[in-house]
Amino acid sequence: MTIELNLYHRLQMIQKIQIHKQEFVLHPLGGLFWEEKSLLLISDVHLGKVSHFRKFGAAVPRKAIHKNFLLLDKIVADFQPFQICFLGDLFHSSLNKEWELFENWVAKTPAEMLLVAGNHDIIAPEKFEKLKITIFPELIIDSFLLTHHPEEREGYFTFCGHIHPSIKLRDFGRERIKLPCFFKSDNQMILPAFGQFTGTYSLDPKDSDEVYAIVEDSVIKV
Amino acid sequence: MKQKELFHIAENWFQEQNWKPFPFQKESWNAFLEGKHGLLNAPTGSGKTYALWFPIVLNYIKNNPDYKTKHKKGLKAIWITPLRALSQEIKQSAERITQDLGTQMTVGIRTGDTSAKERAKMRTNMPDLLITTPESLQLLLSSKGYEKTFKDCSAIVVDEWHELLGTKRGVQMELGLSRLKTICKELRIWGISATIGNLEQAREVLLGPTSPELENSVLVKANLNKKITVKSIIPKKMETFPWRGHLGLHLLDQVAPIINNSKTTLLFTNTRSQCEIWFQKILEKYPEFAGEMAMHHGSINKETRLWVEQAIRNESLKAVVCTSSLDLGVDFAPVETVIQIGGPKGVARFLQRAGRSGHRPGKESVIYFLPTHAIELVEASAMQKAVLNNAVEDRIPYLNSFDVLIQYLTTLAVSDGFYPDDIYPEIKQTFCYQGISDEQWQWLLNFLVMGSQSLKSYDEYKKVEVEEDGKFKVNSRAVAMRHRFQIGTIVGDSTISVRYQKGGYIGSIEEYFISKLSPGDVFTFAGRNLEFIRIKGMAAHVRNSTKRTNKVPSWMGGRLSFSAKMSELLRQELYTAELEFSEQSEEIQALNTMFSKQREESIVPQPHQFLIETFKTRDGYHHMFYPFEGRAIHEGMSSLLAYRISLLAPITCSLAFNDYGFELLSDREINIQEVLDNNLFTPEYMLSDLQKSLNSNEMARRKFRDIAVISGMVFTGYPEKGIKMKHLQSSSELLFDVFRDFEDDNLLYQQAYTETFEHQLEEGRIRLALERIAQQEIVWKQCSQPTPLSFPIITDRLREKLSNEKLADRIQRMITKLTK
Repeated sequence: MTIELNLYHRLQMIQKIQIHKQEFVLHPLGGLFWEEKSLLLISDVHLGKVSHFRKFGAAVPRKAIHKNFLLLDKIVADFQPFQICFLGDLFHSSLNKEWELFENWVAKTPAEMLLVAGNHDIIAPEKFEKLKITIFPELIIDSFLLTHHPEEREGYFTFCGHIHPSIKLRDFGRERIKLPCFFKSDNQMILPAFGQFTGTYSLDPKDSDEVYAIVEDSVIKV
Repeated sequence: MKQKELFHIAENWFQEQNWKPFPFQKESWNAFLEGKHGLLNAPTGSGKTYALWFPIVLNYIKNNPDYKTKHKKGLKAIWITPLRALSQEIKQSAERITQDLGTQMTVGIRTGDTSAKERAKMRTNMPDLLITTPESLQLLLSSKGYEKTFKDCSAIVVDEWHELLGTKRGVQMELGLSRLKTICKELRIWGISATIGNLEQAREVLLGPTSPELENSVLVKANLNKKITVKSIIPKKMETFPWRGHLGLHLLDQVAPIINNSKTTLLFTNTRSQCEIWFQKILEKYPEFAGEMAMHHGSINKETRLWVEQAIRNESLKAVVCTSSLDLGVDFAPVETVIQIGGPKGVARFLQRAGRSGHRPGKESVIYFLPTHAIELVEASAMQKAVLNNAVEDRIPYLNSFDVLIQYLTTLAVSDGFYPDDIYPEIKQTFCYQGISDEQWQWLLNFLVMGSQSLKSYDEYKKVEVEEDGKFKVNSRAVAMRHRFQIGTIVGDSTISVRYQKGGYIGSIEEYFISKLSPGDVFTFAGRNLEFIRIKGMAAHVRNSTKRTNKVPSWMGGRLSFSAKMSELLRQELYTAELEFSEQSEEIQALNTMFSKQREESIVPQPHQFLIETFKTRDGYHHMFYPFEGRAIHEGMSSLLAYRISLLAPITCSLAFNDYGFELLSDREINIQEVLDNNLFTPEYMLSDLQKSLNSNEMARRKFRDIAVISGMVFTGYPEKGIKMKHLQSSSELLFDVFRDFEDDNLLYQQAYTETFEHQLEEGRIRLALERIAQQEIVWKQCSQPTPLSFPIITDRLREKLSNEKLADRIQRMITKLTK
């Protein structure tokens, strides 16, 4: 355990938070690592989106396809988790050739994988089962609820995605800057979108909310 | 039939109307009948339609001597108009001729407003004379068997060519013409243009710089010498006239008598929101105008606009508040007076608007200039000089617009398919693509077929296919359909239609505005107060409301910049502030109090001086610079200067600019002496410095938006049909970043930068401005408070930023100031 921890402590300005007496690490690529369970949570990767656009005649650079896999490799290397749970919208659309790249990635990645299905996940469950990825509508682990859509449930703390949250910060002279973020309210944490070719939606935090913005290679609490 | 007899027919017709043909009209008839191409330089309302419709009909008569009894079907001529609103008028004048001369020729209109049924009918049975827009012409090129449709077409007239020149629709037109030249057996190409600085070049762009058509062409000038009188509306109380602002409502009471004293008055505003506000306020203050006043702008539905236009003709309206939507073409004889609210930003536009009044050959045109803030009086005075000297600006045509070319090639692939070897020589003959290289051409073909420059096995890119014989063809119906929808979106901001809940279309609004409303909010649109209910599909549902509101939709297109000519005149005018009072124009005289205030701590710059002011307010340290070069130039210069300053020390500043100068606002003081000592205004290394300044990325990002839409990389959905294609929508910003990270050698991505530097920043002009500044004496004034000159700039709310501090450091600094 200690060796692995050292690995990610080399990362700059990492944020660690405690929820229900469990330790969580927020990664600047947008993933969240649950230390006690060695579980990595990743939301809204939207794999296949670039290929989907290309299939419909929009020439999004093909190289962008590989970036998602490179980033997945990087975050897995940083934490070396036992399990990876995708919080929905793993694939953007119906099956396309990016699935083969995904198959290769799953085969070479030494971790058990789970998928909490999101609204974009329309690929047949059998395809996932073949890769030994189990699909859940939602997942409860101890007092934590893992879903795609935000939901507050009595007695649980929720981890979810779907929103692609970002936050607007104001500089002097009426400047604004928009950053993707982890958005935590009392009983819920919305993860930022992991995918490269995805947009964001800006949220207004209340006083009781905590926002962890992703600034280049750091996560900063604002 | 001989030419003489043909002329006789035309002259007879003029006699019957009690008119006499102008020399320029006869000149055009002559040239046309001799088979020449040409450019006709004539203002609106001069009878230009008769200059070209006549020879087209006469030519038909010549080739069909039994024209009165027999009708030879098929397309004979195309009349291109940039604005749909003009098509009715053009049709009427064409029909007058075809009917009065007893031909059986038919006249038809085909625009975005034409119903599907009518369009289908045209497919089998084209009218003899077709009036259409550049977009609709492209759509015709995307239908199967288009070559047959056009083969007997003998003429194409591009009306208001000056409006198209210097836009991508103009490029679209160049490409369309390049195809028609090949497929029409005997085509004459004519353009009609108002006066612009580069008329000769306009002809070259229309016909192709090295083409035989240019060789065999004429430039006909109307030379009507219309008398234009410019009057400034000078505030009665100069002391209370504001130093900033863009609405001009302070002068409302001085406008009312002008309206009362003339039959019909057009009030031109620069933006649609300004138009809405003026309409509302006039009615509030002068309810007696209700029923006699109307509003006209591009977002109002077509029926209302047509009604307004008809009402102007019937003389049933006293005043119409409008935007550039009424700039062009249509003949409104009853208009006696024109009022321009706020600076028109260009001489040509101002002349065009002035020409809307006294809209009959030989009549005097009267235009009032209403300043919206004090310094605009300088502009008013400069404008009078400009009109006197007919100092109109150039329209700079685009070069190498690859996005439009991609769209065009896809269009050809959608219809009958194309062979690159046929099309390449046609394209090389156009002005826009005269410099295209073989490598670039191959790049574009690869892009169409593979969506990249090399083939990869897992790639499923699909758009244009290459058939066995080398023909480029779109075979997928879905691709073809999406492409046809995309053709009309050369200028694309996503718009949403505004409808009553029970049905009834009111107009369209930018999505950006609607997205800020919550149900129950009331806003002003099309002169009505409307309550927002919900968004459904691509429509916003509303109901009438009696509540008052100050929410007015804003449109992005509103910000215009001075032309080089206008900036020059403006500087000259400002310099007269130091003349004897009696030698000054009344506008400059009126500004006397403001100039005195300006001189308290600073100066009114003279020709040999370049003014810099610095002062501190609650917002931070203001550093003001006054080149008087126009907004666009200041945008580039401010970015350049901020970048160079940032090389001396890390700094974050916010930039603001208007037509007079620019501001760098920072949370710490910039050492101006250091700026001067290091010669930061030098034109040396200008281009590379500009490229490095963060701002150029932001500008390119905005340019890329249009490029992505036009080239079909961003799909906007089917707004009119209310069909969303959510799974295919992405923001062009996202796409821009992906290109930057993964494919920065993409020609379309690079085009965003070229356009930024050549069209938006006008780097050539920035260079000239810097060279001028290098000759001037720099006057740096440290002031205790904002000066009158600085006021309109520091209160500008649209700002750019530039920073070379590390993002994370800035964020840390900002965290303390977190807002929603």
